[in-house]
Amino acid sequence: MSYAYLFKYIIIGDTGVGKSCLLLQFTDKRFQPVHDLTIGVEFGARMITIDGKQIKLQIWDTAGQEAFRSITRSYYRGAAGALLVYDITRRETFNHLTTWLEDARQHSNSNMVIMLIGNKSDLDSRREVKREEGEAFAREHGLVFMETSAKTAANVEEAFINTAKEIYEKIQEGVFDINNEANGIKIGPQHSPTSPGGLAGTGGQGGAQGGGCC
Amino acid sequence: MFRSRSWFGGGLWKPKNPHSLEHLKYLYNVLSKNHTVSENNRGLLVETLRSIAEILIWGDQNDSSVFDFFLEKNMLSFFLRIMKQKCGSYVCVQLLQTLNILFENIRNETSLYYLLSNNHVNSIIVHKFDFSDEEVMAYYISFLKTLSLKLNVHTIHFFYNEVNEHTNDFPLYTEAIKFFNHTEGMVRIAVRTLTLNVYRVEDASMLAFIRDRTAAPYFSNLVWFIGNHIIELDTCVRNDADHQSQNRLSDLVAEHLDHLHYLNDILCLDIPDLNQVLTEHLLHKLLVPLYVYSLTRHKSQFFQTKEKKKHVSAVVSLFLLSQVFLIISHGPLVHTLAAIILKSDLDIIENGASKLLEEYTNVSAGDKIAFVQPQESLQKSLESLNETQSDEAVSEIEFTAADTIEKTTECELTDNPPSVEPSTSSNMSKTLPRPEVLNIDISNNTLNKIKNLNVTDEEKEQRLALESPLTPQQSSSDVQESLANKPFLEAILNALSSTENDYAALFSLCLLYALANNQGIKPEMLDLVLSPSQKTSTKNWYNEILVDRLIQIITLSCQTNTKVRLVTLDLSIKLLLQLVMSDGQSLLQDCHLAAIESAKEQSTSLLRNFYKSEDIFLDMFEDEYSELQKRPLNVEWLMMDSNILLPPTGTPMTGIEFSKRLPCGEVERARRAIRIFFLIRELSLTLSGQPETHLPLTNLATCVQVNNVLDLNNTDLISCTIVAKDGQKIRRFLVMDLIQIILVEPDTRKLGWGVAKLVGLLQDIEVTGDKDDSRCLHLTIHRPLSSSATNRVPLLSAKCILDDHIRCMAAKQRLTKGRIKARQKKMSQIARLLDIPTGIPHCPTPPNYTLLNVRQERTTGRGQKQKDHPRPMFTVNKVPGFAAQMRRDSSARSVAGQSAATGKRSDSSPNGKVCENGLKSREHSPKLPRPRSEEIPLEDMRSRNASLGKNVTCLPIAIQERIDVTITNTPPLSDTSPVLRKSSEETSFTSPQNQGEPKPRRKGQVETV
Repeated sequence: MSYAYLFKYIIIGDTGVGKSCLLLQFTDKRFQPVHDLTIGVEFGARMITIDGKQIKLQIWDTAGQEAFRSITRSYYRGAAGALLVYDITRRETFNHLTTWLEDARQHSNSNMVIMLIGNKSDLDSRREVKREEGEAFAREHGLVFMETSAKTAANVEEAFINTAKEIYEKIQEGVFDINNEANGIKIGPQHSPTSPGGLAGTGGQGGAQGGGCC
Repeated sequence: MFRSRSWFGGGLWKPKNPHSLEHLKYLYNVLSKNHTVSENNRGLLVETLRSIAEILIWGDQNDSSVFDFFLEKNMLSFFLRIMKQKCGSYVCVQLLQTLNILFENIRNETSLYYLLSNNHVNSIIVHKFDFSDEEVMAYYISFLKTLSLKLNVHTIHFFYNEVNEHTNDFPLYTEAIKFFNHTEGMVRIAVRTLTLNVYRVEDASMLAFIRDRTAAPYFSNLVWFIGNHIIELDTCVRNDADHQSQNRLSDLVAEHLDHLHYLNDILCLDIPDLNQVLTEHLLHKLLVPLYVYSLTRHKSQFFQTKEKKKHVSAVVSLFLLSQVFLIISHGPLVHTLAAIILKSDLDIIENGASKLLEEYTNVSAGDKIAFVQPQESLQKSLESLNETQSDEAVSEIEFTAADTIEKTTECELTDNPPSVEPSTSSNMSKTLPRPEVLNIDISNNTLNKIKNLNVTDEEKEQRLALESPLTPQQSSSDVQESLANKPFLEAILNALSSTENDYAALFSLCLLYALANNQGIKPEMLDLVLSPSQKTSTKNWYNEILVDRLIQIITLSCQTNTKVRLVTLDLSIKLLLQLVMSDGQSLLQDCHLAAIESAKEQSTSLLRNFYKSEDIFLDMFEDEYSELQKRPLNVEWLMMDSNILLPPTGTPMTGIEFSKRLPCGEVERARRAIRIFFLIRELSLTLSGQPETHLPLTNLATCVQVNNVLDLNNTDLISCTIVAKDGQKIRRFLVMDLIQIILVEPDTRKLGWGVAKLVGLLQDIEVTGDKDDSRCLHLTIHRPLSSSATNRVPLLSAKCILDDHIRCMAAKQRLTKGRIKARQKKMSQIARLLDIPTGIPHCPTPPNYTLLNVRQERTTGRGQKQKDHPRPMFTVNKVPGFAAQMRRDSSARSVAGQSAATGKRSDSSPNGKVCENGLKSREHSPKLPRPRSEEIPLEDMRSRNASLGKNVTCLPIAIQERIDVTITNTPPLSDTSPVLRKSSEETSFTSPQNQGEPKPRRKGQVETV
């Protein structure tokens, strides 16, 4: 499947904030959000369209690797975008944002687009972090902010796509060195690789096939 | 639901509820009916596989019977069967995603064990997917990584099979490491993650397998990979004098750091056997041959015969070695490497090298100390590992073991000269029958050498006495000789005194700093080289050659147009302090101390040149101070910056930070002079054990804070209404201190007292009138520079409405003057710091000492302030004195109609002394209550005299003249006559030269850009 650009994302944030669920929710629409099912994944890819261009997003969850300094720093460096996630029902996950952000800023390339995500917006009754607080934090640190719910899929799409748009704009402005793959951006191959018949893969279009066997 | 009651009968139609056992049964049916993947059923299969993942996780969380069914039907075998049909990436990716989801989300441990138990997972791992497909690769490696995160002492047995000797294998690990050098960065990271996850499982037999069967091939290939990367980095540096490829270089540097951190992460897991193999490979194949040998490349005679040997430039090698010592702290590795760098002498290296050459001709090339490609690729090594069974494998192990032995003996020659520390060698020999081989192999000659190296403490001390010049009497030729005998150390030290620029010097400093601070290097190794001696006989000695060179850099940096960057000076000072400070005491000899004091003098005189030459001098001065305090040099961060790898440059257009390049333009030169002054001043104070009492200029801790209760009886209070931007109105009283502006509201409990509601520095205010309303002032108070806030939103930006327009005028004037006064006060503080003579004896009106004492008490009692305690700060009636002070500097801005000022105009000095008066009025505020002797800050008069020599007498004159010039050039103070300006400008051209030459310049130092 050919694409104009490939953007690599990472997802960071405390454990249990729903990173892998967000990831699955975005990369594979076929997994309909269901109330009694918590399901996530550590890696996913999906094709989106920005400005008429096919852009592939590859998202890598960094969970469970915090013990090794070499790994976290490598991940940060290899990504063009980062989703920094906290849980609106757990204040401590919000309090740790500063540490995450410092880490990210220190290790990543300066152009990395960081989006702040307040997840679990469906659990409004248990909310501990006000929306305004998230907005204020984002404003103070120059991040884009959004509240999402991996459960109801609210805003999930927007979060990833807006991040991609910002990266894309930076490319247009010439801020990113796109010839340097270490930035987490790759220019697409001239022709489609071996995958036969231009099939949709697991990505977004896969949703069209859901229940196709009926 | 009725149609799916039984295991077998059910599942022919798709049930409505996707999350039910029935649905899984249906999916099972689909799978069993579609054994063969075809164009037609591809879509169906993909959706089935996806649904299986979903329903299994649902089952794991909600209904255990779902999982039972999955296991009972052995549904994983379907996966394998599909996979083996070369079904194309579409299906493969779905399979891998399903597996990922399965292993990522299963919470039930028993379920996990069942999933792993029948070896299907291992079969999936070894399946040869189409790895050229980016997506398949990514999903595959993520799958392996997910599995590795599930490893623990229980699950390891599902992956590492030790039971059967013939199938002794560990596919999860061996398959993954084949991708260690994959072109895709994320894949490499995943492999590294996986290896670390494997290593940290504490399973002896698995680790033994890793060490015996995979460690040598993996590490040798890893080391080769890293090394090639280094060579690429070096090429990038060599070919880029114009800073064209900063991005590329920064990636290469970051990548090297990644590698080092990875190695360090492995070493930190503290697995002795693994660390030993890794350490050997790193030392023999990379760190010594490529990094260390490159230090002496330019003059090395031992490489002549082999010119094609790979190497990097000395600068790069210094940089890389610094990184090694900053990051890696594994004792046996860093200690040995430090020993090679600091202690090995020429004979050993030459001998070792010739031995190397011998070896090269007959013995296998893979095992000498050299940076060479591994004999076979990792892929191949691992494949042969799988093929060779039992007997063969055993012999192979013996073979590699023998190789290692040979290596170790060699290592004794060149790599382990200081066998003084037994731990290194004992560690290395732990598992190997080394001693016998050692005796057989080594010639008498080399044995002697080793004996020499195994010196006792006494001998060592004698040798040290010879090698490092402990006494000043020792001639420099001795020094040279001893250094010449230690080529690596010599190369490092020589880099310090490069005449052209500080390009290499910075890295040399970094390396020395990193060596001195590495936790893994034993203190005795650094004794007298990089730390004060701790031995009784040589107590209180330090490495004089090094200190000499450091002081040389410090001295050099104080010259105009020097090529020493700020960061180099900063680091030199850091290192110097480390070398000569012992238990808070300086061991520095008089001659060295004098040199530093003279450097301080020089830095002061350098800064005098810029005093006031810029309108914003005060702001710069305070800004630089708070910058230095806020961001002390962090060497580790410094060494992450690839920009310093390119030759030093001056232009800010490269995006290089100010301290890491040369100044560009007059303003930056001023900033630089300020910083140098701070740095050397601090050094001098630290060496003499004195605390800093003059900086920062404003000690915020002694200022009035918000919510302080103040006695305002008899104080000038300006009542006003503050109208904020949002229209909110508050009634406040405005009070001014010498340096602060305070908005108070009356204290409800005590009459005449007030509570501070907002405090700001007078120097940071901006006041403008209002065109439309004569009772209005627009007041902006900026935040002080020292505040930690990152955004500089003003403390207050509001409209101030006063009672009538007279009061408004008065307030405006007082605020404006307060600002000028506050700034003048600070400027005079700076003048005192810089030994610029102040004209207090000529002061026309005596300063209000009573008032000033209040302020002084507060400043002297720094840090002992009682918070929230009502302070009687305004008890003194300051009105007369205050007015008088303001009047004196008012000449520039005549403010008509001010009764307070007019009366005393006549007191000011006669017109004939305009020059002097001008000087006075801005060189110092009138309030300098301290005796003159105190005003000269902590200075060694003796050394100053010595350094200034004959210039001492003419210096003050020069300064005075120069200051006049600067005054006339400052717009708001342009009351001095043009005639005077002309004459003094002439002198100003000569004055910097007068001060710039306290002692003859050193030979070879750069004088101009």
